[in-house]
Amino acid sequence: MTDTRGRLNIDAGQGQWNLSGSIDETSALTELLSRAQNGVLVLDLAGVTFINSLGVRDWIRMQSEATRQGIAIELRRVSEPIIHQLNMIIATRGNSRVTSFYAPYACDSCGREESQLIDVAANAVGLANLVAPSITCPECAAQMAFNDFPERYFSFLVPETPRPS
Amino acid sequence: MPEASILIVHPDRKTQRVVHRILGVTGYRIEIADQLEQGMRLLQHVAPKLVVVDGSAAQSPQAAAFFEAARARGTEACMMLLGTAAIDQVPQILDMGAVTNLLVHPMPVLAEELTITAHKLMRGDLFGVEKYLLWGTDLHEITITRASQRSHVVAGLSESIRAHGQSARVASMTMLVADELISNAVHNAPVDAKGHHYRAEMARDIEIELDERHHVRVRWGCDARYVAVEVTDPFGSLDRDTILRSLAQHDVRESGGGAGMGVALSYRSCDHLVFNLAPGKRTQIIALVDVRYPPTERIPASSYNVFVESSP
Repeated sequence: MTDTRGRLNIDAGQGQWNLSGSIDETSALTELLSRAQNGVLVLDLAGVTFINSLGVRDWIRMQSEATRQGIAIELRRVSEPIIHQLNMIIATRGNSRVTSFYAPYACDSCGREESQLIDVAANAVGLANLVAPSITCPECAAQMAFNDFPERYFSFLVPETPRPS
Repeated sequence: MPEASILIVHPDRKTQRVVHRILGVTGYRIEIADQLEQGMRLLQHVAPKLVVVDGSAAQSPQAAAFFEAARARGTEACMMLLGTAAIDQVPQILDMGAVTNLLVHPMPVLAEELTITAHKLMRGDLFGVEKYLLWGTDLHEITITRASQRSHVVAGLSESIRAHGQSARVASMTMLVADELISNAVHNAPVDAKGHHYRAEMARDIEIELDERHHVRVRWGCDARYVAVEVTDPFGSLDRDTILRSLAQHDVRESGGGAGMGVALSYRSCDHLVFNLAPGKRTQIIALVDVRYPPTERIPASSYNVFVESSP
């Protein structure tokens, strides 16, 4: 059964909650924490297509509250709009752990552009060196190229060093 | 009173010549200096309407004094040109709070953006997204008459952009920018006679019917170079210093999501953000998303312009 808040839909999955649609001022994300099991909240974000600044604020509130309550958040199949926010605003990361995420790829051969799923554990070594995994184009079987700057797109995976005061 | 002119301060002779050729079409006298010190000396004798400075000047200890001197001489706009090699100076430039126009460009310089900026300044004709799009581009127009319309307009805009063959990335960036700009126009722009922003603290999910005085105009178009979104409110309450402070939130990275984050996010989600301000009359913000090149072939920084209409 779908729980709809504004433009965000929340559906129960296998040991996780699947979010889809838009995260904005109507999403009330902090309430999701009550759905944590054994101190862990698992969110699948593949279907999230949009998050605005009010949604970002709500997201940060959820992360802060999770930290306060000692709830660990695992983020699976994180969509590109969420990755952009994780990269731009450190506070959105909270103490959550990203286990897989979508990244933009383009095929130089046929011009196809596609968001491809990357498993963090399976590609840990390459990602630590900011190297995008190899992907084969599903249309023409040529090698697809990562379609963003790796040092920018993968920066959410790199622990932030404190800035000098 | 000295003749109105344009002052170019750039250490590279080739760039000086290129910029001179581009700005020469405005018909204004062009003054050229190699360094800020020389520019400071020239400012004692000229009153440039526009100063164009190389991005490397941001590191100079004389930069702040130079911009202050230019303003004292009546300079309306300080433009900084930033090439690929100097991208890491963007936070420093934004922190200065004096650069009203930042033009991020591949070398030697992006002629079309520079020309548009110069013409707008010199002619005092600031408003309209048409100036950034090719002739013949269809512009779609929507008037926002109630607050809840924002989400529908943004969703419709995204669908329309996808239907025009643009990528999901372009649609996503455009959605974010349009949402922030409309939200700003509906909630932050309205001010009363005392300058109080009476809707700024209202919850964004509460429905508000907007009377004609509060209508927000949204226009957008795509010319196969840019997707352009223009949002106009009839209050003109946004000022130059607030904008420059918001843009300087490069620590949007560490932000807890406070006020001004919408402008900062919009700036970082498009390739060029233009503010056209007529104080007390209207504010128009134009966001341009470049659709020509894949992200990896572009410069990882965005341009901005802040134009303020002169009082008659």
